[in-house]
Amino acid sequence: MPIADTAKPALATGCRWGGSQEQPVLLFPEGAIKVQATGLAILRLCDGQRTFSEIVDELHRTYPDALAERIRQEAGDFLDQLNAKRIVNL
Amino acid sequence: MPSNPLALIAEITHRCPLHCVYCSNPLQLAAANSELPTAEWRRVFAEAGALGVLHLHLTGGEPLARTDLEELVCAAREAGLYTNLITSALGLNRDRLARLVSGGLDHIQISFQDSQPDRADHIAGTESHLHKVELARWVREHKIAFTANLVVHRRNLNHLEEMLLFLEELRPDRIEVANTQYYGWALKNRHALMPTASQLENALRTLEATKIRLQGRIRIDSVLPDYYAQFPKACMGGWAQRMILITPSGQAWPCHAAGVIPGLAFANVRDNSLSAIWNDSPAFQKFRGESWMQEPCRTCEHRHEDFGGCRCQALLLIGDAAATDPVCSLSPRHEVVLQEIQGLEGQAPSPQLQNWTYRPNPSRTTL
Repeated sequence: MPIADTAKPALATGCRWGGSQEQPVLLFPEGAIKVQATGLAILRLCDGQRTFSEIVDELHRTYPDALAERIRQEAGDFLDQLNAKRIVNL
Repeated sequence: MPSNPLALIAEITHRCPLHCVYCSNPLQLAAANSELPTAEWRRVFAEAGALGVLHLHLTGGEPLARTDLEELVCAAREAGLYTNLITSALGLNRDRLARLVSGGLDHIQISFQDSQPDRADHIAGTESHLHKVELARWVREHKIAFTANLVVHRRNLNHLEEMLLFLEELRPDRIEVANTQYYGWALKNRHALMPTASQLENALRTLEATKIRLQGRIRIDSVLPDYYAQFPKACMGGWAQRMILITPSGQAWPCHAAGVIPGLAFANVRDNSLSAIWNDSPAFQKFRGESWMQEPCRTCEHRHEDFGGCRCQALLLIGDAAATDPVCSLSPRHEVVLQEIQGLEGQAPSPQLQNWTYRPNPSRTTL
């Protein structure tokens, strides 16, 4: 499902960061995910304050060479998958 | 060198106010006076964090039976562990819950026996259900993850939908529907608990429909009963591959039931570091990897996925811990599993079946 521009994604209750500075790990009930650089860039912006469209804009400023539409698509898919696992609330 | 363990299961006590007939604790329960003291657990948690363990599961018995639980949760947080409390909720009160959360508890998993109080209490062997529901309602006042766990079997599967609606009302983040696994007390009571094939078919349909209905709100995880599977479960993600369990008295086991396997010598965390136990202790080496495998596992294409199934189940059902798990359809001894599930269909699940054994409380002291 596409994410609404006005959605304010945030880590779900009970999900938090662990691991080390070099290899951050997202911890949640019964699991953990190693997050790579792009995923980290997305999740750092998911503070429950920023809207999805603001997040896409900020990512575009960080990665000016990527197409905005592509960023929207990939960040949306990423967050949607984490939402299905109840790691991110939308 | 094996890769580091990811989860530590700390069975901090075998004392429990409930007497569930499907309890996975060993038949030989640890006495209260044999339990590891606070300081030893603190050290174990610190060692676990340093070893790369991510998750700590505080379980029992009933972990709330230990008066130092708050202190243990703080120690786990200091060690950087993601801490999960697996509990019946009995022993909780509002202040205690608040102290556990402020001490660093990340996740609470509360088990329910049924949606109907009389049925739940019959399984638990004690009047407890209504009180548990009352306690569980406080969890949502806190910002921690909440799983409602439901163990299913022949006595309750017929009203799974009603039970799921009951759990949904508690507003958990996650519902775990666990089919009874037949170890410990559950194996003793298997004749009364084993579900029928048609119950399972209906349950799968109910679970699928509920998953769709609750998508994005409540995550549903389910554990299927391996007696009905074609291939065995990847027990513990492989022997001594991911998890380490510490018993109340400090023995390190590779899984919940390993104590049933004769001839395994278990190291104790009172005498050894966690890393020495994980890397070198004979019990952890015994079935690590594939060199112990017999046919048909040794050359089976599934051996990297299911690791031959469960060593304890092989021992319990056919007396050989190194054999293919007999739940596997390829096992030459698969008939011992088929015998248990055939002919169940016609038997109505009488709600008041008396011929089962309740799990007792451990004695206070070792004799």
